[in-house]
Amino acid sequence: MTNILLLEDLPEIRAWLSSLVLQVFPGAQIAEAARVHDALGLVSAIKFDLALVDLGLPDGSGVDVVAALREHQPETQSVVVTIHDDDEHLFPALQAGAFGYILKEQARELIIEQLQRISQGEPPLSPSIARRVMAYFAAKSKPQPMSASSAAVPHVSLTDRETEVLLRVAKGYTLPEIGQQLTLSRHTIADYVKQIYRKLNVSSRAEAALEAQRMGLFGR
Amino acid sequence: MSRSGWHRRLHGMLCLGLLWLAAASAVAQDQTVTIRAAQAAVSDGPSFPTEPPAPLVELPDDWSVSRPGSSGPVWYRLTFVAPGLRETGELLALYIEHVCTNLQVYLNGQLIHSGGQMHEPITQNCNHPQLVGLPAGLIGPGPNSLDLKVVGHALQRVASTHRAGGLSALAIGPHSALAGKHARQVALNVAVPQAVSATLLLMGSFMFVLGWMNRRESHLAYFGALSVGWALIESRLWLRDLPFDNAVAELLLCSMLPLLTWASVQFLLRYAQYRHRWIDIALPLQAVVMPVTLLLAGPERLYPMASFWYVLLPLQTLAAAGFYLRTQYHVQRGAFWPMALFLCIATVALAVEYVAQSFGIRGSLMQMAQVATPVMMVLVGLRLLHQQGRAMQDAVEGKAHLEMRIREATAEIERNFTQLAELRVEKVTERERKRIAADLHDDLGAKLLTIVHTSDSERISTLAREALEEMRLSVRGLTGKPVRLIDALGDWRAEVVSRLGQAGIEADWSAPAEELPQTLSARAFVQTTRILREAVSNVIKHSGATHCSLSCDLADGDMQIIVRDNGNGIPMELDGRLDRGHGMASMKHRAKQLQGQCLVESGPGYGTVIRLTLPLTRATEAA
Repeated sequence: MTNILLLEDLPEIRAWLSSLVLQVFPGAQIAEAARVHDALGLVSAIKFDLALVDLGLPDGSGVDVVAALREHQPETQSVVVTIHDDDEHLFPALQAGAFGYILKEQARELIIEQLQRISQGEPPLSPSIARRVMAYFAAKSKPQPMSASSAAVPHVSLTDRETEVLLRVAKGYTLPEIGQQLTLSRHTIADYVKQIYRKLNVSSRAEAALEAQRMGLFGR
Repeated sequence: MSRSGWHRRLHGMLCLGLLWLAAASAVAQDQTVTIRAAQAAVSDGPSFPTEPPAPLVELPDDWSVSRPGSSGPVWYRLTFVAPGLRETGELLALYIEHVCTNLQVYLNGQLIHSGGQMHEPITQNCNHPQLVGLPAGLIGPGPNSLDLKVVGHALQRVASTHRAGGLSALAIGPHSALAGKHARQVALNVAVPQAVSATLLLMGSFMFVLGWMNRRESHLAYFGALSVGWALIESRLWLRDLPFDNAVAELLLCSMLPLLTWASVQFLLRYAQYRHRWIDIALPLQAVVMPVTLLLAGPERLYPMASFWYVLLPLQTLAAAGFYLRTQYHVQRGAFWPMALFLCIATVALAVEYVAQSFGIRGSLMQMAQVATPVMMVLVGLRLLHQQGRAMQDAVEGKAHLEMRIREATAEIERNFTQLAELRVEKVTERERKRIAADLHDDLGAKLLTIVHTSDSERISTLAREALEEMRLSVRGLTGKPVRLIDALGDWRAEVVSRLGQAGIEADWSAPAEELPQTLSARAFVQTTRILREAVSNVIKHSGATHCSLSCDLADGDMQIIVRDNGNGIPMELDGRLDRGHGMASMKHRAKQLQGQCLVESGPGYGTVIRLTLPLTRATEAA
């Protein structure tokens, strides 16, 4: 029994995605939502295994739903399904805890393949996202002016191997190619990518929490 | 006047046993005899009054002491013998160091000298030593009588003891000896004050005009007025014939003093940057009140009234000087000491002059004091002019500096403004681009997407997908930032290799892997991406190739991308040109837009080579 959340505002696309999901996960229970508000209601009511979340929605951004899922149902795999391919849109969603992203206009077969890969633990990683992740962690590793408060944040950093993978992705190598270059199995590379996503999320969440705490302190 | 009378008088004098033998002196050939006593009688007659017998008086004879309240005229008679004069041929002379106000000299009854007008307005000779040559023809071998008719004014009628009636000691001696003494004294008493007057008048007028034209430097105007006033007052020492009688002349002279006080006090206060309304009013008022009090007192009480003012007015100046020095001491230590020195010397000189005037003292100290004050004024004036010159120079330099600063500031403001305007335009443009991009995604994107996934026709679906990708690239060209070339190569490689891989075509990518400094504008990146995408699409769809190699090289500022496949090649059309249906036209068009070119070589069975050359300098320009 698989519970899947499908958040998409365009009815045709929602229907199309729904059929596609059923093809990948036969017999899955699909809870459909067209608005962020409705999706958040579903998140508080149903426990999902997978969530396909659109970003640009009439009443807000799907990033909020991704964050809510990460907060309340950490086991749920959130996948962003979007028309935006640029890291400006994707990166915040990945920081919020999305495990991957699918570009909507791709051919049905391609999307099915990607969805299968994601559900098997092989999230996609584009060069621009890889560069963005590297830049994010590079900035974090710089000495912080407020050392006392940054000490409160759990220090998350990438391992050399993870950085190596990111570097190669950024240069345009595909994950299988990197696996060959590093003489690592496809699954090991996928694990690195998953780990990178996880660290990005953990670090971002800690940062956000610290930010909230800081605001609270100053607000008092 | 008879010779026997003379004898009798001389006899009488000797019989009285008086010790003043000098009155009848024997004048030797080359020696000067100072005469310190003479017979004196008040008379306005044409000759020395014989009756009643005139008493002997000591010389110098100060009328205010010997005959208080008297305004003369007074006749003086003295007798001298000059034995052997005719033999030597020496010319004798009478030297009168000081006579106030004027005199006539008679030798043995003959008028031999007149100092000028003997009636009002009397010629002022108080400061002019008189040298009277004694004609040898009139000098007898026996005792000679020398009569002096002196006209003058009682002390009460003048404002200074120096202008009160009186006669100094006399000297008789060789003309040659006395002429030198006379010349020296005239130089000191007359020439020096004349020079001082001229200097002060010139400098004062100049400074007055300077201060008047520049109201911010009002102290200069007051100092100029002070100098001019002092020059006028100084003229009393050398001007002899005024068209007024004594009363008017004294009144005018006295009236100058409150004006001088006004000028000096205001000069000192303004110079100390101080201004007070009451002082501005009080000083001119005083200048009016003082002459009025003198008029009210009347000519007979001029001296006591003037004496009162003589104390009051210098005290005001002194107070102003004290105020000035106190202020300067705290504000400008550097400028303090010179001015303090000048003021102290001037004060001492004025004090000496005051004492000398009050007690009728004459002498070199008095003369030095009389000169010291104007000399100090000249020094102060020079100092003020120097300061003014320096200030003007500073002002000119400051102005030049300021103008330069203004030019710089203006240029900077213009620069900043231009930058701000550019930033603003950039910001507005950026916002607008983002809005358009969002609209495109939300509206056009959603519709195209719906077509992609709902169309039954594969062709329409593909077209819509391509349109969507085009739109996305367009938006990126609109909103995107410049892309580093190394990043662009990474993106292209990822796309090309994964697409070819999915199509089952073996891909081979070669590109510089080192760090590249170049960046591509968003537009260049997008256009190049489109060309590459089209080329790869052609390989996948039409070539039937099993292998595709892509290479990117940088040389001579150009970027050359070569896509080479081992497929069927592009079929020729009837006219021998390559098929345009395979997106070749749009690829060439896009390359042209980037000032580059796209060459296609193809032959049936030989595969296809697409050479894309883009000038990096052009491609890196902002979109």
